[in-house]
Amino acid sequence: MAATATLAASVRSRRPALTAFRKAVTRKPGRIIGLAIIVFFVLLAICGPWFYGRLAVDPNSLYAAPSAKHWLGTDFAGSDVLQEVVTGARYVLATAALSALFTSLFGVTIGLVAGYQRGLTDSALMRLTDFVLTIPGLPLLIILSTVWNFGSPWKMGLILGVTGWGGVARAVRSQALSLRERGFLEAARGLGLSRRHILLKEMLPNVAPYAAMQLMLSMIAFIGAEVGLFFLGLVPFSSTNWGVMLNQAVFSGGAMETPSALIYLLAPLVCILVLTLGIVLFLDAIDELFNPRLRERV
Amino acid sequence: MIQARGITRTYQTHGSFTGDRTVRALRGVDFTLPDGGAVSFIGESGCGKTTLGKILTGLETFDGGELVVDGVELSKLRPRQREKYFRRIQMIHQDPYSALNPTRTVEATLGDPLRMRAREKAAAGEQAGSWRERAAELLTLVGLEPTAVLPKYPHQLSGGQRQRVVIARALTVDPTVLIADEAVSMIDVSMRLGILSLLRDLRARLGISLVFITHDVATARYVGDGGELHVIYRGEVVERGLTDEVILSPVHPYTQCLLSAVPVMRGLEEPGPDRTAPTAALDERTPTPGCLFQPRCPFAGAQCAEKHPVLVPFGLDAAGQGEAAAAEDGSGHVHACFYPESRRVVGVEVGAASA
Amino acid sequence: MSEVEVRDLTVEYQTSVGWLPAVAGASLDLRAGQITGLVGESGSGKSTLALSLLNAVPAPGRIAGGTIEVAGVGDLTRLGGKQLRKARGGAIGYVFQASQNSLNPLKTIGRQLLDLGRSHEVGDLRALIARAKDLANRMGLDGDRVLDSYQHELSGGMRQRVGIVFALVLNAKVLILDEPTTALDMLSQASVLDIVRKVHDENQLSTLIITHDIGAISEIADRLAVMYGGRIVEDGPLLDVLRRPTHPYTKALIGATARITGDVDGARALPGRPPDLTTVARAGCVFRDRCPFAVEVCAQTEPELETFESGRRRACHVEPSTVLTGPVLTGTTGTPAAVGEPA
Ligand SMILES: Nc1ncnc2c1ncn2[C@@H]1O[C@H](COP(=O)(O)OP(=O)(O)OP(=O)(O)O)[C@@H](O)[C@H]1O
Ligand SMILES: Nc1ncnc2c1ncn2[C@@H]1O[C@H](COP(=O)(O)OP(=O)(O)O)[C@@H](O)[C@H]1O
Ligand code: SF4
Ligand code: SF4
Ligand SMILES: [Mg+2]
Ligand SMILES: [Mg+2]
Repeated sequence: MAATATLAASVRSRRPALTAFRKAVTRKPGRIIGLAIIVFFVLLAICGPWFYGRLAVDPNSLYAAPSAKHWLGTDFAGSDVLQEVVTGARYVLATAALSALFTSLFGVTIGLVAGYQRGLTDSALMRLTDFVLTIPGLPLLIILSTVWNFGSPWKMGLILGVTGWGGVARAVRSQALSLRERGFLEAARGLGLSRRHILLKEMLPNVAPYAAMQLMLSMIAFIGAEVGLFFLGLVPFSSTNWGVMLNQAVFSGGAMETPSALIYLLAPLVCILVLTLGIVLFLDAIDELFNPRLRERV
Repeated sequence: MIQARGITRTYQTHGSFTGDRTVRALRGVDFTLPDGGAVSFIGESGCGKTTLGKILTGLETFDGGELVVDGVELSKLRPRQREKYFRRIQMIHQDPYSALNPTRTVEATLGDPLRMRAREKAAAGEQAGSWRERAAELLTLVGLEPTAVLPKYPHQLSGGQRQRVVIARALTVDPTVLIADEAVSMIDVSMRLGILSLLRDLRARLGISLVFITHDVATARYVGDGGELHVIYRGEVVERGLTDEVILSPVHPYTQCLLSAVPVMRGLEEPGPDRTAPTAALDERTPTPGCLFQPRCPFAGAQCAEKHPVLVPFGLDAAGQGEAAAAEDGSGHVHACFYPESRRVVGVEVGAASA
Repeated sequence: MSEVEVRDLTVEYQTSVGWLPAVAGASLDLRAGQITGLVGESGSGKSTLALSLLNAVPAPGRIAGGTIEVAGVGDLTRLGGKQLRKARGGAIGYVFQASQNSLNPLKTIGRQLLDLGRSHEVGDLRALIARAKDLANRMGLDGDRVLDSYQHELSGGMRQRVGIVFALVLNAKVLILDEPTTALDMLSQASVLDIVRKVHDENQLSTLIITHDIGAISEIADRLAVMYGGRIVEDGPLLDVLRRPTHPYTKALIGATARITGDVDGARALPGRPPDLTTVARAGCVFRDRCPFAVEVCAQTEPELETFESGRRRACHVEPSTVLTGPVLTGTTGTPAAVGEPA
């Protein structure tokens, strides 16, 4: 018996999650690029504003062309474009991350429970989901903007998250429904394992890749939505961010007419495109991160 | 000991193409499983075998009849109280590829129920050893090397190894009954006998009783002695008797068709002299007021389309006359057919035929 | 006379450690008018061999060597493009493993048949449909109904038959079926096997049936080839091979089959597990770690597949008579993965 004990103890070592992550990401160059882009923007959002303490305005050079002093030139008011892009990143990314957090919290929980419980709980939760899906997010934000200013990413993230989890919940539920019929879940129920165990340990890891995939996609949508809101001028400008820049470039700067404002217009656009590209490229790795079979391939 | 009396299960389906339909998956199934014993169920696809297994493990409800486990009638209990009884009856699934969670290692798969069991034992004041030791012990019992298998994910195991892990997992909660639903039909032929002899071994060593569900009659012979074979057709038991007796001298035409379908190893075996086949494919939509098998029966006679035959001992005619091969209490060789006739349909070993 | 002659076929898959052979130097004939059964455990390379008969090894695989001469077509390994497409379906009909699931769920069987006809540039689509109906009827299906059905309206056995209709509708003379009965119950299996034999006889085909169930194949095959670790290890007339298996693996496979008559204790499961690409022995006999007859030379040299008597070939260092009279594999020589196999 002592022998079996040491036997059992000796096999405890598992492949660390970190190695698995590294392997999944480094398998294809696209994924490395994707991750690099995401990390770059996250760093930009976190650290960027430190480099530019205050918004320096140089009234002597409006719409200056790129130079050693202003790498990306200046805008209509003489502010440095690079500085605006960098400081604007924080708001955009924070909002997207927060809304993603809310979305996954609500979406995954509700989808899992609905799919596992079925019956009345399922119907009730799905009606709720349908309701949330029909809430028109944009008008709601416009109305809310009359009472709130969206100066802090919190509020914007909360609203986007609270109105945006419907899709994730549906995707997770349909996965959960098909999982439910799988032998291992029947076995778990037959063994008398707790519902908590079944939801968290048996089902969650299996729906995780779909949930994560949905989440990344909704983050892209969230970024688009918030930038769009500011661009359209539907919510008051309360901070520097890419949407505000776009709006200014088009409506105040006349970027459509004067080529001098072109960089001002392009800078935030390119950022959004590159970030989206980064997310899409990284998406490819997600399946492998969660699926031990795919992870396995060396 | 499990006694099932007249178990029925009816499903209402709402197909978008087929419209509403009532499927009678089980139409009153009786059987008795003594402690340490074995019963087998054979039948073709869709005849209700899995439904029965799920009902026995509490994964599916039944809407008629009664299930008595160790003298307790389960339908009289509240769902919470029932759980305790169902826990002692564990299922081994048909498909070893979906029966294990692909995201969890063998260690995690066995660890959770084992820890749960250890907590329960501790709460009841019983001695509970380390769950790791127990995991290693169970894997050894099912013929696997613990060190090699514990850290593995399901996809890293062969079909046979997976099925052994599934069995080990079922054993974690110290069951008294195992339900093996097509436990070997999805794994390589070369691995099947190993799993079957493991099941037989569990019966002998741990006194676990076994409900063996299969469409391949040959495998039912390998799970141990003294088992009764139930032939099930469209949710109804149509013949029952000792496994070898039913195989060697089946009396119901459906049983005879099933047994005739078992491939003959030419060169080593010769086909049985009375080999037969159904005259049509299964079609559940046409109403069958008489014998359920009548539309496909090669031996159907005058009464078959009108009257529904019930289980009677072989040897007695419908009027109860004749020499019965079955005992008074209903055990023994019984069948539900108006024109029973013993036929030799299974292959005979070359050489044994002449002897 | 052979309809298909496979010579020294090697098929490789790309893995993390380079290109490894899933089929290694296999030679096999599909004789005209005969049903050849190819048996072996899963992973022994049966499907890979069969797919290469279509020159359709899936990526990341390639035919690395050898020839496949098909009567009237030539060496298939050299064909490409249009000629190859014509050979597939036209000369060789193929029913895929799990073909139950290989039909398009969104189109009726009839429309899929028309698609097949168009892609093969069949001029007379009416005749094609008529031929399909005729084939279906002869297999006990209601041709009209089946052509109007969607896949989900058919049972497993019916779908398997539809697969055969598709394989034969273009008048292929060679029929290949990969695990045609594996997911079916006994009654459906019996009727599918019955039908294969009937279609085979009526159309004078050369048929290859792949399976892991030596019992099922023994019902209908004329010849038997046994595959292990990417090699053909034994072949010959079916009855003869079943009666006198001269390769330890063949003998073990027969011994591991659950039988409806005879001694229950006589049968033994194969211990251990079959090798896959990465674990198959690089030198010596691929079967040696599971072989009860293994001798020293088995670890050093790989046995060649050689004719040892008329019509029969085997690849083993030990004398046929030794194997014939020796023990069947017992469950005790397990590999580490399956020790303590209860007897
Ligand atoms: N949840 C369900 N809803 C509706 N019908 C069902 C359900 N489960 C089973 N059935 C029907 O009940 C009948 C019996 O099904 P069951 O799965 O028990 O068959 P089986 O004998 O196990 O078949 P197989 O050999 O294919 O596993 C079938 O007609 C099936 O379609
Ligand atoms: N696409 C693939 N990539 C890499 N290895 C493969 C691939 N397909 C099959 N193999 C390997 O080739 C070997 C033979 O496979 P296969 O021909 O499918 O065997 P069988 O049909 O006998 O089960 C196995 O070891 C299998 O893992
Ligand atoms: S009762 Fe009639 S139809 Fe039914 S099985 Fe017997 S002979 Fe066939
Ligand atoms: S060559 Fe040797 S190891 Fe291989 S099958 Fe023959 S006896 Fe066994
Ligand atoms: Mg079933
Ligand atoms: Mg295969």
